[in-house]
Amino acid sequence: MASISLSKSEKSYIQTSLLSTPPLRGDGRSLLDYRTIALETGIAPLANGSARLNIGKPTHEGGGGTEVLGAVKLEVEDVENGDGVDGGRIVCSVSCSPAAYPHLSSNALDDLSYDMTTLLNQTLSHPSLHPPNLCILPKKKSWCLNLDVIVLSDSGNVYDALFMAARAALWDTKVPITRAVEYQAKRGGKNPQENTDVDMDTETEQQSGFDTRHISRAVDFELPDYWDEGETLAGQDLWPVCVTLNIMPPTYYLDATPQEEASTPLRLLLAMSFPKSASSRLQATRLLGPGEIELSQIKRLIQEGEKHGRELYSALEAKLREEDVRRNQKARDKFVLR
Amino acid sequence: MDLAEVEYDGGARLTCPGDYITSSQAFMRGHGTYVENDQVIASVAGTVERVNKLVTVRAIRTRYSPEVGDLVVGRITEVQPKRWKVDANSRQDAVLMLSSVNLPGGVQRRKLESDELQMRTFFEEGDLLVAEVQAFFSDGAMSLHTRSLKYGKLRNGQLIAVPPILVRRLKSHFITLPCGVDLILGLNGYIWVSKHVKDNDQEGEEGFDAEAVYSSQNDDIDEATRSAISSVTNIIRVLAAHFVPLTDAILLEAYAWVMDQEIGTKDILQEETSDFLVAALTSSRE
Repeated sequence: MASISLSKSEKSYIQTSLLSTPPLRGDGRSLLDYRTIALETGIAPLANGSARLNIGKPTHEGGGGTEVLGAVKLEVEDVENGDGVDGGRIVCSVSCSPAAYPHLSSNALDDLSYDMTTLLNQTLSHPSLHPPNLCILPKKKSWCLNLDVIVLSDSGNVYDALFMAARAALWDTKVPITRAVEYQAKRGGKNPQENTDVDMDTETEQQSGFDTRHISRAVDFELPDYWDEGETLAGQDLWPVCVTLNIMPPTYYLDATPQEEASTPLRLLLAMSFPKSASSRLQATRLLGPGEIELSQIKRLIQEGEKHGRELYSALEAKLREEDVRRNQKARDKFVLR
Repeated sequence: MDLAEVEYDGGARLTCPGDYITSSQAFMRGHGTYVENDQVIASVAGTVERVNKLVTVRAIRTRYSPEVGDLVVGRITEVQPKRWKVDANSRQDAVLMLSSVNLPGGVQRRKLESDELQMRTFFEEGDLLVAEVQAFFSDGAMSLHTRSLKYGKLRNGQLIAVPPILVRRLKSHFITLPCGVDLILGLNGYIWVSKHVKDNDQEGEEGFDAEAVYSSQNDDIDEATRSAISSVTNIIRVLAAHFVPLTDAILLEAYAWVMDQEIGTKDILQEETSDFLVAALTSSRE
């Protein structure tokens, strides 16, 4: 695990501070306080959706804080020749910048990015979260959604940052609108060589009323002129957020700094989604670290975690809507200036 | 080309990357500069320095460049035969020789082979220590020593790192604040904030207590001291973010201001509060 080196006395200072009454942390926060989170969407012009997220950036400083960048790129895949999956698929990858973990060797860095990739990919590409509008032509063409996340710097709580950045990038994603194109033989053309001379037509014709077989003959698609970049990716409110509970028996705390992470034996990651119509869902859990915990405690922690997750979720949602408004405003201003 | 271009009388000249410094026909380019179209141009933000015909720019944000006699706070990264490697925020790891630490059982004691075998009982990987720069090796790495009772292992507190340029050379780098907090301002930008230790608790030359000096066990620290340590750490963070040089006077004043305004520990870091704090400090200085 990526952890910075810490002396025994520092470790015990942090541990006893967390366990004292009232608990106190190195920067004066209470156990359940998050540091300031900064978020901006639409930072990569060539991506279909993108976001930059920073946890705990000190004011007036150029750097600092946990900085994560997420971007979504949609790619057309052919289902028939086996490249893609019918209905589209989601592929996530996380890469860690060596500058974020200067003390790690390149092998250890690869391991760490692989761990993060696995967690993000398994959670987000789960069928329960699959957005329905990744399909272009049923059984023929579909979108492959590539979500790439880069960890630029790590000052603790990187998993929460990963999921928030991923959620923001997916929220921001616009799927281009497509229209099916069919090729039809010219009517009346009996000669076989004329059959090769095809005519593009977007309308479906000559369907007899008795023909109940719904065979789509669309073989390709085109991108119609549309006022926006596309429609939003379906299931915006489904994308999960992650809450990391840093467990220091008998208590736990949120949003750990690297020093605190290094002195905490166990971390519980809870990725939760909060659909509008249904009750909240736990999408993924992970226990990280060498510590151990009783089964009965887990239940309580998950309940507590749901509460924190919901707070984080609603705060993030409010910010994302604010960002949407800001960017629409920007687009309108640009249009006026033109 | 006259020298006035390179040096202003009085203060040093500041550059931005890409600034024209002087002509390359009259001067030689040094570190932090490059030559383009017969001009010496700064490649970093910093102060211009000149030695005869050599013009260099000393960068503001850089690693610590040690000088003999400097007080530094460092962290052990490696235990090697007869020496420890210490991270002191410099370009290379510093070296602490077994022969330059005080060993238990008499200051003037000879080093034995058994001492070499139990080096980890003195310092182990990750441990923090305060030391003085003793000398340089031929490759430029610094050699440290802890042969004073002021120096040695650090405990009962927390570390904060600031840009090294913000720590000025002071009469004493051991500062005691009235709130029961001790500060050690390492010239390498590492600052140790800890619980105050009474002077008479520090053992005299005779009663050198190895147990206490090389212990990793924290004392009991009461809640008020802990919260004072957190406050001081946050004040230093704010001052470093605003690039205010740290001296004992500034820190005392800042702590008094924070106590005066009755600001909570975590609120110090808020943007508004931190701006007020820095404004209050700088206005009283002018």
